[in-house]
Amino acid sequence: MQVYLGIDVGSVSTNFVVIDEDGNVLVDLYLRTRGQPIQVVQDGMRQIEEAVAGKNLEICGVGTTGSARTLTGVVVGADTVKNEITAHAVAASFLVPNVQTVLEIGGQDSKIILLRDGIVVDFAMNTVCAAGTGSFLDHQAARLNIPIEEFGSLALQSRSPVRIAGRCSVFAESDMIHKQQMGHTAPDIIAGLCDALVRNYLNNVGKGKEILAPVVFQGGVAANVGIRAAFEKALGVEVIIPEYFSVMGAIGAALLAKSAVKEKGQTDFRGFAISDMHYQASSFECKGCPNLCEIVNISVDGEILARWGGRCGKWETMRKTG
Amino acid sequence: MRVGIPRTLSYFTLYPLVQPFFEGLGVDVVVSPESNKDILDEGIKETVNDACVPIKLLHGHVAALKDKVDILFMPRLVSLDGKNTLCPKFLGLPDMVRYSIKGLPEIIENRLDLKKGKLELYRFLFRIGRRFTDNKLLILRAIWRARYNFMHYRKLLLQGFTPIEAFSLLQKGHNAEVQPQKGQIKLAVLGYPYTLYDNYISVGLLEILKSYGVNVVTPEMVPKQELQRMSKKFNKNLFWYYSNCVVWACKYYLTDKSVDGIIHVTAFGCGPDSMTNKLIELETKADRKIPFLTVTIDEHTGEAGVETRVEAFVDLIKRKKGIL
Repeated sequence: MQVYLGIDVGSVSTNFVVIDEDGNVLVDLYLRTRGQPIQVVQDGMRQIEEAVAGKNLEICGVGTTGSARTLTGVVVGADTVKNEITAHAVAASFLVPNVQTVLEIGGQDSKIILLRDGIVVDFAMNTVCAAGTGSFLDHQAARLNIPIEEFGSLALQSRSPVRIAGRCSVFAESDMIHKQQMGHTAPDIIAGLCDALVRNYLNNVGKGKEILAPVVFQGGVAANVGIRAAFEKALGVEVIIPEYFSVMGAIGAALLAKSAVKEKGQTDFRGFAISDMHYQASSFECKGCPNLCEIVNISVDGEILARWGGRCGKWETMRKTG
Repeated sequence: MRVGIPRTLSYFTLYPLVQPFFEGLGVDVVVSPESNKDILDEGIKETVNDACVPIKLLHGHVAALKDKVDILFMPRLVSLDGKNTLCPKFLGLPDMVRYSIKGLPEIIENRLDLKKGKLELYRFLFRIGRRFTDNKLLILRAIWRARYNFMHYRKLLLQGFTPIEAFSLLQKGHNAEVQPQKGQIKLAVLGYPYTLYDNYISVGLLEILKSYGVNVVTPEMVPKQELQRMSKKFNKNLFWYYSNCVVWACKYYLTDKSVDGIIHVTAFGCGPDSMTNKLIELETKADRKIPFLTVTIDEHTGEAGVETRVEAFVDLIKRKKGIL
C-alpha cells in the first residue's frame, strides 16, 4: 500500500505519522527533541521502519514542518517543507471538516488559525516571548514536582482558582511562589495558572480575532485537560480535541506531501538507510562582509548536503554548483 | 570636499534630489554602506536605549561615515508635504546624534519645512549651496539638475519600481532593462521607506516575497494626488507624514481592489505606528475580504519568525485563490 510520512520537528517534541492514501493515521510517534533534532529524526525513522516492516507499506512521499523543517527536510529528502501554520490548518480542516477556529499551543509557540469554508482567512502567532506555552508548563510542573501528565487533572480538582499574572512567565512564576507560600493548595494554583495562560493567549495571540465554533484545540498542550477546561470557560463553547492532537503538524505535513508527490510524480525520500548514516552539522561565521552570517553546513559521511544561514545566498549556491 | 549621506531614514526619499545637487556643486558624495550587523551593533552602542531600531541604525550609519567625510548631511526635516509633520525623531535628529556620538564632522542641519511654501525646497537647497560656494549661478544650475533627476525618480516609483531599483535605473541611464514583476499574487507591503527598502533590517522581506512569486506594491508607488483623495475618506488625519502616507496607501489599495493581501511592516517600539497599525487593521477588517498581516522588526535577527509568518500568509492567499 502507498503511504505518506509526515515529520514535525519542534522545539520540545518531534512527531512522526504515517498516513494512507485516504488520510487514515496508521502509525504515530511522539518523541522529545531534547535539543538534538538530527538524532531524534534518525531515532524516529528507525522506529517507523520497525512499525511499517512486514506490512507491505511503501513510503511514497515525505513532508516536514516545524522549526527544524529545513534541516529535517535535507536529512530525510522531503518532498515538501512547509511552515507549521499551514500544516496545522491542513490537518485540522481535514480531520474536522467544518472547523472555524484552530487553537494550537506547542512547546515554544502558540498560534490561532481562523478558517472559513475550509480556507485559512486569518492567523496569528505569539511574538518572540514564549510565555504561556508548553515549555513554561513543563518548567512549572518540574518545579512543583508534579508529572506534567497529571498537571491538568489536578487543575480540575480546584474549587477556587487563584489569580495569577499570565502576561510574563517570569512574573507568573513569582506570583505562583507567592501564592504557594501564602498557603493556597496546589490544585488551586495550577488551575489559576491554566486560567492565566488562556487569558494571556486570548489577549495576545487571539487579540481581536473572531473565534467561532467549532473550535479545535491541538498541539502538545491540548493533553492538559485543565487548559481545555479553562478555554471552554473563557470562550463559552465546546472545545474539540482531535484524537491525534499532539501530532497534527505531522499529519498536515504528510497530507501536503501526498499532494506534492501527486504533482511531481515521484518522491525524493532518501530511504530508511538515513538512520544509520553519519550526519554532521557544523557552523562557521562567514567573514565575507560585515554581516558575519552564521553559515550551517549539513554533511553526510563527509559530503556536504546543504548549507544555509547566509544573507547573500553565496554559500547556498556554492553547494549547487559543487 | 566630501559630504556624507547616511543610507537610511530620508535617504530613500531625498537621495535622488540631494545627490545630483551636491555633485552639481562639485562636492563628492559619500554614502554609508548598506546596513549590516556592524552598523547595527555600532548604532545600538551609541543610541539612547529606548529609541526605535531605525534610529539606532542611523547612529550606526553616522558612525560609519564620520571619519570618511568633511561634512554630514542630516537636515532637520519638519514637513515634506506642507501639511503634515515628520516624526519628532526627524525633527531632533541632528541634536540627538550630536550628543550621542563624539568626534563628528560639521553637520548640514538646515531646516526643511514645506509649510512655508512650495518654493521652500529650493530656498533650502540654496542655503545649503551657499556653504560650499559663492557662485549663485552654479547653485541654481545644481538645483535645476537635482529637480530634473528627482522628478524622473518620482516617475519611476509610479511605474512600480522600488526606490532601490529606481536608484540603479537612474544611475545606469535609461537603458537599464525594465523587468515587469511576474508573480501569481499581488501584495501591498506598507511601512516606512527606511524599514521596507533596507534589506538588512527588514530581514530581506521583499526578496522573500519575490521568491514566493509575489508582486509587491508599496506606498511609494501611489500617486500623490491619489493619496490626497484618500485622505478625505478619514475623519481625521494622523499627525505624522510617513504614517499618513501608509494609512492613505492602505485605503488606496483597498479601494483599488487590485491586491490580494496587505502586510504592514513596523519597527518594534515605533510610537506613531501604535496608531498606524491599529488604523490599518481596522480598515482591512472593515473590508473583510483582504487578509492582513503585521510584521514587527527589531534588533534581533528573527529571520525564522518572519519567514514562517510570511510563508503562511502567502500560502493562505494562494490557497484562497486556488493556486496551491
